[in-house]
Amino acid sequence: MPRPEVRMVTLTIDGREVEAPENSMLVDGAKHGDVEIPVFCYEPKLGPPVGACRMCLVEVEGIPKLQTACSTPVKDGMVVHTQTERVRKAQEAVVEFLLINHPLDCPVCDKGGECPLQDISYGWGGGTSRFIEPKRHFRKPLALSPLVAIDRERCILCYRCVRYSQEIAEDYQLVLLERGAHSYVGTFDSTPYVAPFAGNIIELCPVGALTSRAYRFRARPWDIEAAGSICTLCPAQCNISFTVRDDRVLRVMARDNPDVDDGWLCDKGRFAYQAVHADERVVEPMVREGGTLRPVSWERALDEAAAALSRARGRVGALAGDGATNEEGYLLGRLLREALDCNDLDSRVARGPSRETARALSAPALGATVPDVEFAHAVLVLDCEPMDDMPILDLRIRKGVRRHGMRLVVATSRPSSLDPNAAVSVRFAPGAGEAFLAALDAALAGGDVDSAAGAAGADPAAVRELARLLREAGDDVVVVWGERLTGGPRGEQAARALLNVCARLNLRRDGAGLLEIPSSANGRGLREAGVLPGAGPGWSEAADGRDAAGIARALAGGELGALYLLRTDPVRTHPDRTVWSAALARANAVIAHASVLTEGLLEHATVVFPAESYAEKEGTVTHPDGRVQRLRPAIGRPGGVRAEWQVLADVARRAGLEIALPTGAAATKLLFEAVPFYAGLSLVDLAADGVRWPERDAASALDAPAWEPVELERPPAAPSPNGALRLGTFRPIWAAPEVEVSPALRFLSARARVELSPGDARRLGLASGARVHVSHDGTGVAAEVVVRSDVPAGSAFLHEAQGANALSSGEPRLVEVRPA
Amino acid sequence: MRRYDEDVVEVVRGPQPGGAGGVYRAFGETLRGLKTTFARILEGPVTVQYPEEKVPVYPRFRGRHKLHRFEDTGLEKCVGCSLCAAACPADCIRVVAAENTPEHRISAGERYAAVYEINMSRCIFCGYCEVACPFDAITMGHDYELSDYNRSDLVFTKEMLLAEPLERTPLRAEGE
Repeated sequence: MPRPEVRMVTLTIDGREVEAPENSMLVDGAKHGDVEIPVFCYEPKLGPPVGACRMCLVEVEGIPKLQTACSTPVKDGMVVHTQTERVRKAQEAVVEFLLINHPLDCPVCDKGGECPLQDISYGWGGGTSRFIEPKRHFRKPLALSPLVAIDRERCILCYRCVRYSQEIAEDYQLVLLERGAHSYVGTFDSTPYVAPFAGNIIELCPVGALTSRAYRFRARPWDIEAAGSICTLCPAQCNISFTVRDDRVLRVMARDNPDVDDGWLCDKGRFAYQAVHADERVVEPMVREGGTLRPVSWERALDEAAAALSRARGRVGALAGDGATNEEGYLLGRLLREALDCNDLDSRVARGPSRETARALSAPALGATVPDVEFAHAVLVLDCEPMDDMPILDLRIRKGVRRHGMRLVVATSRPSSLDPNAAVSVRFAPGAGEAFLAALDAALAGGDVDSAAGAAGADPAAVRELARLLREAGDDVVVVWGERLTGGPRGEQAARALLNVCARLNLRRDGAGLLEIPSSANGRGLREAGVLPGAGPGWSEAADGRDAAGIARALAGGELGALYLLRTDPVRTHPDRTVWSAALARANAVIAHASVLTEGLLEHATVVFPAESYAEKEGTVTHPDGRVQRLRPAIGRPGGVRAEWQVLADVARRAGLEIALPTGAAATKLLFEAVPFYAGLSLVDLAADGVRWPERDAASALDAPAWEPVELERPPAAPSPNGALRLGTFRPIWAAPEVEVSPALRFLSARARVELSPGDARRLGLASGARVHVSHDGTGVAAEVVVRSDVPAGSAFLHEAQGANALSSGEPRLVEVRPA
Repeated sequence: MRRYDEDVVEVVRGPQPGGAGGVYRAFGETLRGLKTTFARILEGPVTVQYPEEKVPVYPRFRGRHKLHRFEDTGLEKCVGCSLCAAACPADCIRVVAAENTPEHRISAGERYAAVYEINMSRCIFCGYCEVACPFDAITMGHDYELSDYNRSDLVFTKEMLLAEPLERTPLRAEGE
């Protein structure tokens, strides 16, 4: 539903005239008049109030009994008193009541010093207790999960964590067990509460009942400093605050930005900070000598890298990915294009649409914001799994469905975790996104759905139903789609089909549009900074070059001599692992910026520059919805790590290109000058929340005319399984080097798994847990079977972990699954 | 235009003594002072021969800190809560806590101080740490002889603070 119109009402609180938005609760309304009403259980982010803690009692004239301010909406002409003797006595009684069973072990409690219960006891409590009976006892401390410790004695039963699990994350794991004074929080059968967003309950808990195991006893609030920055571990780019003590990151907390993350974090973002201080981290420049990488001086590493690049002048490829900033992408582009006369650079994993089509897709008028997802009439989740690709967006979609009556439609090849919330879910064959879009386009235009739906392996009736729903839900439709949809050889056609659908749904309006989830954390920013074949900074025209797959083939074929890897390891992240392995082995020089030596770098890199972690970086990144956000260093760089913009500028200088960069901010300035639609931005403007460039005047630099639906090519039919299985791959949220080197998260690191439908599993004689060999044309990977009832028959979904990208390529494939 | 000699303050001196006044100053005042000296000669010297002799301190004298253990179990009283560090106005206490395990139990509670350091060169001996401690784990002792040759040696570690100090400082007896 569209954002509700906010009307203001006037009420009197403690004798003050207060203007507050209609339908807001008294607690929030009082804040407009600078009146604080204490609360424990109330948290607007958790949805409707429950009034469990009774801390917010106030006197409302005309109502004989005290009312809970958290669940009483403001009304015009209401007269409220929060400072009367009656209210004060009630508040003191509630505090006394809440402290009856609270152990008051503040000195040993991690929450001590930042605890609402402490603050409210001091501020509104009576200071004494008449309760002399023994307090209730639980076994403690217990691990609620490997990441969260629970101390049930401290719990004041405010329901926040339970409501979060039930209504926000919707994992339905946490419940309140038993009754009355015996109530306690736990999972129904005492299994560990492991979920992608479980860590948020640590921040929600108003007492020290739920604490982080990774942060346990590491510091007290007065020992630490908070440093705001951006998490660049995935495209969601949540705003975070690092907790720093003695120049070490000890904790990551959410920094509420309703336009980006709504104040939630996934567990990867919350706990993978440990990779910053991991032993595995590369902190010295290294050069390959006698087959192994050895630490060397910076001068030596820079000289070797520059010499190797200069030798291969004109024959250098470059890839950028992960947490590379816009500035680094821009400098990499200049290094390649200006110093080395090369045009082969890419930040996508597979070939995307042409420059014109890509420009049309990222036109500011067609872009949707993250809050648009929540307030749209309908959201189409297309060929992506937000839970894995951009986790925080998953929560936003759930919120839209639950609270704003948004209609969700899901069209993916793999069963989505959003299916239970969806009005319609359509499955198509892995890699058949283009055919599905063609079918949808036909359904919206009233054309021939059946043939395209047949090519997509989708049910035509379901596609028609989906189209009908998108048409009838309302004007505001947001399409959330994954980069893989337009990746690969037929990316151009898929992009055209997508633009057709947008035109037919008339998405060029506020509150509607496209939201692309790129494959790397700063995918959008790198593209806008010009890390693309055939497109310079700001999608400007540039000489055409090879895309990632082309670079691999050219390296393997000897046409390219050297490869520059900016925070990416294609052997791990790109499709066609075998081709990439061969390409890197054949390359004369592989120069990499890396913080962890992943398999491809360990074997093939000739020069490794230590990469900064996101806690040390300065620069800007661009959110998938176009928000330019600023990274600020929270800690110093360990060992010999240098700023990467500086390393790139040093390499460029040695290769003969002088880029005057006295500071990191100078690199940002160069970038903002080079990208037309960033023009006029400054680091000061970005402040804490960033600036969405499509909303600025300079955005007209990228404006494209409205797309007129074009005649689509007939999409190729998805391969028919015919005994084999269609291969779909996806990257789980936990498949990241940061997860593997973080001690707290290691237990979650992704394993090679293959998901099969029950029918196929029965046919192959396999059960969950069986070890299998998944192969195609002689190449194969070992995996563990997971039988999922909602996997469509004929498809197998492989988790991209532990070398599973050996099987994936840009094109749909069939695989054999045999017991190992 | 400002004149600099305006800033000069004239020193006001008394009238120059002369004659009888001068003689009185030279001898009379001196003799008056010596009267006190000679009157006290019989009392003997009061100089304390430090460091051979020490002045006893009062029981509530705030000297070098001590950390304490429980007498019965031998466990440390300190749980590493850092409240002393929070109270310290000189910011000279550093505490890093860690978790007790059944196999490795240091203190009575869930946590203990893995690192407990007081920088004595910064400490102002105000005693706020002692006041802040919820477990009476830290108290101010009586030792005041803390000089050293090296600044870094003035950072007292947990082991040094827990060790029974050589009681080099006599305590003033009741009523003394």
